[in-house]
Amino acid sequence: MKRFRRQLAFGLFALIAATVGALWLNGKSNTLPNYAYLTGWALLAGMFVLTIYNVRKKLPFLPLGKSETWLQIHIYLGFFTTLLFLIHLNFRAPHGWFEVVLAWLFVLVSGSGMVGLFFSRVLPRRLATRGGEVIFEKIPALRHALKTEVEKLSLGADAKSLVIAEFYTKRLAPFFSGPKNFWNHLAESRREVSALLAELEDLRRFANDMEKEKIERLGALVRQKDGLDYHRALQLALRLWLFVHIPLTYGLLIFTALHIILVFGFSGGAR
Amino acid sequence: MSEQLPAPDFDAQNYARPNQNWICGHACEGNACRPGPDQKGNCCATAECKPVLKIKPGETKGRWVCTRTGGECESGPLPDGSCCNPIPKCSPVPTLRVWRGRVTLAVIAAACAVLLVVLGNPPWRNNFISPGIVSSPHSGAAFAALALTNRLNQSCGACHVAGNSGPNEMVSVALHAEPGILDLKKLVFAKAAGPTAIDEACLKCHAGKNVHQPDAPQISCSFCHVEHQGIKIAATMDANCNFCHGNAAKMPAAIGGKPFALVHHFADDHPQFRFLTEKLRDPDTLKFNHALHLTGTTIPNLPGGSKLDCVFCHSPDAAGAFMKPVAFEKNCRVCHSLQFDPATPELQLPHGSAEFVSAYLRSLPKQYLDLAAKQNVADGNNFVQQKLADLRTQFGSGEDLEKRIFFSTATTAPEINVGNVSGVTRAIFPGCAYCHEVKSIGGLPEITKPIQTEHWLVQAKFNHAAHANIACTQCHDAVHSKDTADILLPPKETCVTCHSPRGGVADTCAECHTYHKLPVAAQ
Repeated sequence: MKRFRRQLAFGLFALIAATVGALWLNGKSNTLPNYAYLTGWALLAGMFVLTIYNVRKKLPFLPLGKSETWLQIHIYLGFFTTLLFLIHLNFRAPHGWFEVVLAWLFVLVSGSGMVGLFFSRVLPRRLATRGGEVIFEKIPALRHALKTEVEKLSLGADAKSLVIAEFYTKRLAPFFSGPKNFWNHLAESRREVSALLAELEDLRRFANDMEKEKIERLGALVRQKDGLDYHRALQLALRLWLFVHIPLTYGLLIFTALHIILVFGFSGGAR
Repeated sequence: MSEQLPAPDFDAQNYARPNQNWICGHACEGNACRPGPDQKGNCCATAECKPVLKIKPGETKGRWVCTRTGGECESGPLPDGSCCNPIPKCSPVPTLRVWRGRVTLAVIAAACAVLLVVLGNPPWRNNFISPGIVSSPHSGAAFAALALTNRLNQSCGACHVAGNSGPNEMVSVALHAEPGILDLKKLVFAKAAGPTAIDEACLKCHAGKNVHQPDAPQISCSFCHVEHQGIKIAATMDANCNFCHGNAAKMPAAIGGKPFALVHHFADDHPQFRFLTEKLRDPDTLKFNHALHLTGTTIPNLPGGSKLDCVFCHSPDAAGAFMKPVAFEKNCRVCHSLQFDPATPELQLPHGSAEFVSAYLRSLPKQYLDLAAKQNVADGNNFVQQKLADLRTQFGSGEDLEKRIFFSTATTAPEINVGNVSGVTRAIFPGCAYCHEVKSIGGLPEITKPIQTEHWLVQAKFNHAAHANIACTQCHDAVHSKDTADILLPPKETCVTCHSPRGGVADTCAECHTYHKLPVAAQ
């Protein structure tokens, strides 16, 4: 914890210092020749360092420093390049088609990175408060096991309960057929599962003692399935933001390469 | 080493392989096979074991033995040596990592495809890569015609070499650009605001580049004028002006022997206007007293009863930016009559030319005779003689009358009501010299033509219409001006009241100054 605070303090200090420096230089933009070129190259260098973090993750055997350190650099440099991007744009929205697409790619990559940072700071804590650790890849198997048990309880040879069988067909089968309530879980809403449990509880009025035991057990299984869905939703969110961040990074790099060619081909040294 | 061993509760059967690209199709049922899919996503499932043939000493055929992990199965291998428990084949499922890779490839392919299609089509290419709307002077039909005249490309190629070519040549131009793509040294240590390669394109039409006054040293056009910012070419920013005008090292210490002021902000260090510091005077020879006309008690009210004010004489031009010149017929005659005969208000002197006045006076008998005819006087000749006799009685000879009319500055003439002015005025014409400078050249009168200076600050922009909510006297101190030579422009401090950060109105250099060299005719 102490080390984390030290890293955080150092990272924030470096970010603030770099930001102040960049804004100071921006104030002197007219006294610096080729200011747009310099900010552009600085931005490209920043983007390059940010991109090779992905390469670093794929080459864990190379002595390139700790992945944790790389991540810290990636985060703080990400914020700084966003500022550099705004300075490079002179704090104005671009107009041309190509530049608008390029800017949007940067915004999406940068924005998805910030969303990812937010998820990685918030969602693990929420996961820790809801049941034990569940491996994402094993969730389908666990869900299948729960479905099998519910089927056995409701429709098995010794079930002998029309009420439960009917309820299973109508409400439990769809619920256990796959992952449910993705957005509700992200929003920390339990409305759907509470409604299902309430309906299950209502069955008690028509159930005998044996059926009541089964309903008790079915309720527990519904809660377990809901817990699994919760883990799946949050863990999926922790992975899905990368589906925007990484692919668009490569799109951004391609457009950036063309941007450099266009700048040097067309500007002829102009600002 | 022991730390790398699986934990005691390690489930070898259901081992998940999150780092691999494919997972067993049975994994979602909790029955993933032990070998799992290969790297290409093919199912590797065969059977639960691979039986081994054991031949005891003395035997010729031998016996197949089950090798299943966890113990031999009850049935054992089949006679042909294959396992009796084949594992059903599955359709391996790609992991999220694989899907992410596919999305990445799709994005790369889409980006490349879009760029290839767009860049390969010239009309699309120009529209796509243009960083913004080109200003109206550099676009449209007029520019295309000009480009044609100058044998230039009528599109991007008119200014950009790379605009004449396809993608391959575009890359070639970029690689040979000056400064080059990787020529960081030149980029960092380039001379600020110095001329660039793109300036050559500007010079094709703006030959000489002596557009800044007074012939500024070589500054890149694009230093002040950034293109592709919209229909209206982007206004030059203060920072551009301050680059030279706010830098002692760049400005000459003096121009014409006078120290050159460094300027950063209008409100702070902009010098006082030169017409004040150099005590310039209006060269107009007309004798006019603004204070008297605005505050004098002898000034009659205008037709309709309103008081004489600034707008009666000073009316804006069609654009509203500047004031039209004051005209005698429209603005002065209403009070200042050119009646010379106290008894004959119908006859008035012409205005505008001394020769016309002289000719008129010499034709007075004819003028009186025409008047008699108009008034149906029976004896016209007698009428003329009577009028002329009255004039002689009052002014002496005809020569005396002409001298009085041209050179008199008398202010004691009889006062009567003139026209529809409310109140009495000096009805009788006191003499041209009352308002004009009249010289005698060889005995002949010569009236100096009044000079009405339309623009005092010829390099400045001003728009009266934009200042319509301010009273005239707030800027022009006319009520205290008794002399025509007073230049009634406000001092800098009056402008700063509004044009400053505190006043809240724009105070940029370009707000008032034009910096291009004037055409020769205007100079």
